[in-house]
Amino acid sequence: MLDAAFLVRRQQPGLLLSALSYTGGLAFGLAVSAMLLVQAGVPASALVDEFLVAAFLTSDGLSQTVTAALPLILVGLASAVATRVRFWNIGVEGQLWLGAVAATWVALHEIGPESMRLPLAFVLAALAGSGWIAISLVLKQRWGVNEVISSLLLGSVAFLLVQHLLFGIWRDPANSFPVTAAFPPASRFSALGWGQLHAGLFVAALIALAVWFLLERTRAGFYADAVGLNRQAALATGLPVRRTLAGLVLLSGALSGLAGMVIVSGTEHRLNQAVGNGYLFSAIVIAYLARAKPFWVVVVALALGAVFTAGNVLKVFYGVSEGMIVLVQGTVLISILMAQFFSTYSLNRPS
Amino acid sequence: MDFLIGWIAIIPNYATPLVLASLGLIICERAGILNLGAEGLMAVGAMSAAIAVLSGGNPWAALVAGAASAMALAFLFGMATVVLRADQTLSGLAVVAIGLGVTGVVGRSYVQKTFVGIPNLGDIFALERDTAVARIVAVQDPITLALPVMVGLLWWWLMRSRSGLRLRAVGENPAAADVAGVDVQIVQLGAVLASGLLCGLAGAYLSVATSHVWVEGMVASRGWVAVALVIFARWNPARALVGALVFGSADALVPRLQAVGADIPVYLMMTLPYLLTLLVLVIGSISGRRSGEPAFLGRIYLRQDKH
Repeated sequence: MLDAAFLVRRQQPGLLLSALSYTGGLAFGLAVSAMLLVQAGVPASALVDEFLVAAFLTSDGLSQTVTAALPLILVGLASAVATRVRFWNIGVEGQLWLGAVAATWVALHEIGPESMRLPLAFVLAALAGSGWIAISLVLKQRWGVNEVISSLLLGSVAFLLVQHLLFGIWRDPANSFPVTAAFPPASRFSALGWGQLHAGLFVAALIALAVWFLLERTRAGFYADAVGLNRQAALATGLPVRRTLAGLVLLSGALSGLAGMVIVSGTEHRLNQAVGNGYLFSAIVIAYLARAKPFWVVVVALALGAVFTAGNVLKVFYGVSEGMIVLVQGTVLISILMAQFFSTYSLNRPS
Repeated sequence: MDFLIGWIAIIPNYATPLVLASLGLIICERAGILNLGAEGLMAVGAMSAAIAVLSGGNPWAALVAGAASAMALAFLFGMATVVLRADQTLSGLAVVAIGLGVTGVVGRSYVQKTFVGIPNLGDIFALERDTAVARIVAVQDPITLALPVMVGLLWWWLMRSRSGLRLRAVGENPAAADVAGVDVQIVQLGAVLASGLLCGLAGAYLSVATSHVWVEGMVASRGWVAVALVIFARWNPARALVGALVFGSADALVPRLQAVGADIPVYLMMTLPYLLTLLVLVIGSISGRRSGEPAFLGRIYLRQDKH
């Protein structure tokens, strides 16, 4: 029935058509999201106010947006790096939790001299994230276990480990919630004097720059694209496929782990149950919208940071649930996925 | 002994939603469509069913409501993947996001309100809970009881019937099925809707038959476990039943141990079902070479590619 119109894959979708289907999908997704928000009881005028004016054009809002964007940049890059080599890292949240745990360990147990606390937390968080995704990587490379499921299940395991710590040895007895004690000052990123913004900004910016350089300007980045485009061809050409894949996947885990560190050392100053929530979908949506390009990851992460900022305001003033942010992300994602149809295929009548 | 009986008695309770969801996924994936959206579909089913009961509906009608609303979400997934040929992995993740998001938003005012759900056999037949067997039987519900029959029927339909063969042909070699006169897209769309129905039922079972309450995040990764279970079961309904019982027993262990007051690291114990799932996947990959996977799973069929 549905094949009565004959579907043909376009050889070379024109730039204009691609741009149109992408923006069309984005606009449609955003429109549906706006309708959902209005349905949930937010006046339409408040949407414009919160998303554009408050999140970007006021000093307070902008600083919040940038602060929220920092971990988003890192998880977005994590997802983008893995996407480049066609490895589905669905365990971003798990690696983020492990990174946060590593940073918390350094902070609470006061490991090393004070000046070295943050660098040490940085290294350990990256290693913890890499180590966690390494399990999925090994399972995939060695036995062909599907990484979508293994990384996701390990994400659940990581969250339970955090629960174990928060309800156990790390619980702050002075607090009625399951959270750790606040970090000593040596384990906090210093504030930059603009809202909540902290020195993690430089970390995220430098990392984004480094990842951009790696993917777009080095041989490893070129190999990665070759592996992602056609693994068989890359193997046949004699490229170091396994090494490239492993390197980028481990980098992906490290980036997620660092996102965890930036959250606990930068904004929360303690480990709690909400640190990693929702970053999985954010990471996937950012990497997909940005077409796995580091520069665009930063742009999309900033835009999503604005959604988070606005979402917080809407939550307080209009009682919109936290689920709304996940819903908006899912809606925009599927809308763009569906709109791709128009640039990927053309309809020809059977001759 | 008491502990053992208590444990055995609740295993079916934990296994049933996993079986229902995996059956749905098996149908879908046998038709070549990779469905990672189970978690979202189950969440929608669980919430809709709870709302139906809380709005004065009959618990059985609530199961239908849960299945129907999950089917609506599955229809969106089908439009994206079958009709518009979007990437199945990403579309599945989008379905999870939408499902979890919608339940968070809509279900907000229904959270933590307990209700009368599906009665168990003990209540229906006013059983005396004096012997071990009676104690185990009494806490089962009619859905669990019907499950083996469902699995058998589905197995027969999939492996022995003509329409089951058509469905499998679409998942193995859609070009050949197309030439043989099977409408590939209609079959796939039907399979996607069936997965919505069964995943929705699985979710509805969680809220209406097991917990008698709706809370956000109540599906708690069971949808993902079902996705893994399908691989373990090698896309075979009968093996899915066995697998679900194994996971159900691991899942049921923690609350039982807590109930008898055992001093255990609860959260570490709760990682058990996930680690077990991983282990089973590894063993399956080592020994089975992923046999049984539909050859065209996750790929996009266009008539243009027909050889």
